[in-house]
Amino acid sequence: MTMLALKNVGFDYGKVTVIDKLDLEVQKGELVCCVGPSGCGKSTLLALLGGHLQPTRGTLERKGASRTIYQDGGLYPWLTVRENIALGLPKGTSASTRKEKIDDWLAITTLRDFADHYPHQLSGGMRQRVELGRALAAETDILLLDEPFSALDYQTRTRMRRELAATLEARPRTVVFVTHDIEEAVQLGDRVVVLGARPSNVRRVLYLPPGRPRPPAAPGVAEAEQAIMDELGLS
Amino acid sequence: MRRLWPTVPGLILLGIWWGLSAAHAFPTGTVPPPDDVVRGFGSEIQSGRLLDDTISSLYRVAWGFVLAVWLAVPLGLLIGRSTLAREALLPSINFFRSISPIAWIPFAIVWFGVGDPPAIFIIFMATFFQIVLATSAAAATVPKVYYRVAEDLGMSERDMLFRVTLPAIVPQLITALRVAIGVAWVVVVAAEMIAVNSGLGYLVVDARNGLRMDLVVVGMTTIGAIGIGLDILFARLTHVASVRWGFDR
Repeated sequence: MTMLALKNVGFDYGKVTVIDKLDLEVQKGELVCCVGPSGCGKSTLLALLGGHLQPTRGTLERKGASRTIYQDGGLYPWLTVRENIALGLPKGTSASTRKEKIDDWLAITTLRDFADHYPHQLSGGMRQRVELGRALAAETDILLLDEPFSALDYQTRTRMRRELAATLEARPRTVVFVTHDIEEAVQLGDRVVVLGARPSNVRRVLYLPPGRPRPPAAPGVAEAEQAIMDELGLS
Repeated sequence: MRRLWPTVPGLILLGIWWGLSAAHAFPTGTVPPPDDVVRGFGSEIQSGRLLDDTISSLYRVAWGFVLAVWLAVPLGLLIGRSTLAREALLPSINFFRSISPIAWIPFAIVWFGVGDPPAIFIIFMATFFQIVLATSAAAATVPKVYYRVAEDLGMSERDMLFRVTLPAIVPQLITALRVAIGVAWVVVVAAEMIAVNSGLGYLVVDARNGLRMDLVVVGMTTIGAIGIGLDILFARLTHVASVRWGFDR
């Protein structure tokens, strides 16, 4: 089933055309990574997909609600970890299952010991786990990630990739993952979409073999990475 | 020991004052000797006048300040969140903010007569505009990402106001209120020098008219001490757990 469909989509900020003639379809359960040069409109694309911006041209169809995870600072600093995650629960969650569900998500994100901490008391990696927990708690089908790990150090980032993959394994979602990290894209994406410089559209699409996150030495990974570098003029 | 540290400069000042007075270094009538001031405190406390004056002043500040906060915060939110309101109202707010509250005293007396109302009005004028400005500046700089998240969560406009904008500006609001209460306290004393016959400001003017410089110092000391007290009270608000994020970095 097609969850997201963009046909000939364009978006202008005033006189600047950020996105032009962009076509993209995302199937249910798929994880699509978008990479591209900085300023190419990756975040704008996610804002369009999330319904926060409306396309200037073309059509965009989205099945169901979505949640977006941001690079940093998307948590409400005046709420504790528990309260932030509680906010993510679907509306109409009964009071009796509420606590249980929050505890579930605290366990999945390994934040049980930090449930009553405030975001500013946590490390960057922990904060992103709370964001992930809050977004997944919504039980919406579509998950949009806007460079969620790019503010983290290398080791934490690598660990978070594994955690994200494991969580999605247990609770599948349709994911669009925007990143400037090519390694991250080829390790996580079922498909990697390379966007061109502004006004951006799809320059190239690469399909990767199943299994996420793929180790760097897995078949096809190095080739895909090389192909993306070539496409972005980095090699 | 560390807690007593801030009292050291005060004690040194007191020592100099006492020493110079004892040596008769001040021309007669210019600076009252400390023991006169202590006696003044004694008589003012015993007669109950100091307590009455303090209560009168605090009562006026409380009214003026609460009224200002109550009206200024909603207006500040409106100006901060709406470009139209900002363009229309900000110049006027800045205009009135630039006028010293003391300049309103003639109008305060003509409009409100004597007693508490003119003083309350002056305090209101002194704090209202700056709280509007502080609130609007805070509301205008709430990160956009908070509202994107709120949209994802399906919050209504009303929810966004009470569950996003307000909690997001509380730390800056606390700082603004702390500054404003200080201003209110300075202004009440000035206001009481004109239109009333009670309060700490009146105590100072009345003492001057009677050439009781010792009582002037009694009034000044009490005003300063209560000023410190008010600031400590508002500083406490910054220790509430859900606002610590605004102060901990």
